[in-house]
Amino acid sequence: MGLLEQQFEENVLTTKVDWLINWCRLQSVWPMTFGLACCAIEMMAVGCAHHDIDRFGAGAFRASPRQADLMIVAGTVNFKMAERIKRLYDQMPSPKYVIAMGACATGGGPYYKYGYTVVKGVDRVVPVDVYVAGCPPRPEALLEGLMKLQEKIQQSSVIRRPARTA
Amino acid sequence: MDFRGILDRLKARQAPGLVGSDEPRAADPADKKDKGRAGDPFLWVEAQALPRFLELCRDDERLRFECLIDLTATDPSKDDPNLHVVVQLLSLAFRHRLMVKCTLPKAAASMPSSVPVHRAAQWHERECGEMFGITFTGHPDPRHILLPEDWIGTPLRKDYVFPDEYHGISCK
Repeated sequence: MGLLEQQFEENVLTTKVDWLINWCRLQSVWPMTFGLACCAIEMMAVGCAHHDIDRFGAGAFRASPRQADLMIVAGTVNFKMAERIKRLYDQMPSPKYVIAMGACATGGGPYYKYGYTVVKGVDRVVPVDVYVAGCPPRPEALLEGLMKLQEKIQQSSVIRRPARTA
Repeated sequence: MDFRGILDRLKARQAPGLVGSDEPRAADPADKKDKGRAGDPFLWVEAQALPRFLELCRDDERLRFECLIDLTATDPSKDDPNLHVVVQLLSLAFRHRLMVKCTLPKAAASMPSSVPVHRAAQWHERECGEMFGITFTGHPDPRHILLPEDWIGTPLRKDYVFPDEYHGISCK
């Protein structure tokens, strides 16, 4: 932007469209309100004052998938629930992101071997952007997952989205 | 009333289907291999007579087991030809408890429903039905309760084979 520097009046700044749109998106990642198991308790802790997910602009937990950008799959996903999750994901407007929180959502967790109704990873149902490790993950871990997601959004482009590696 | 008292009362009333009793005992010091038996005392009752047995337990003025705490089943082993159905009873009036067990052949796992006697048995029998494949004849609403309605197999039987996929989602 060297050429255009200092060429305009005050209160005008020049930037790339990508940067501006990504900046808007990553500072207002609104998650959807739903928790499936014990990880949801940690997610609630993230929403409360001590950890305060609002610092990252992601504190507006929406009660409808149509208003949400982010789906935090916090807990054990069983087959009965997996179909509902797919349906909720389909109802979210693009761009939409998914965080798989904890061992169960990542790969079945403690139910991997003998859990006859547990889906062995929510990535078998919806594409996942960020995996957060832990059982359950501490609130700081979820915040780091959110920051990773923000880094990922920062790298996306309006013209051409990078291919997902699901 | 303690277990012996309950047993004597049931014998005096000629309880239908009462087969025998099993009580915990200490290990025999002379026999080193004998470990005794821990746990609670229980009664063996014939599965086909269970509702009538529960009805007598409920209506007898000295027993008054008016509360069905639990009705569940166990699969003891792959080699065992029988399932065990376990019922826990509680008398709120006299504050005594009773455990009742029935054996049920796996090949023909069918027994009369206890819902006409205890309405609390409805959900318990639905769960037993889907998890162990027991048919409770006369149950008013024999749908699945936890599993999806189109689930194949009975997961808590020891010889259960895990499915490969469910509605396109891989289970492996």
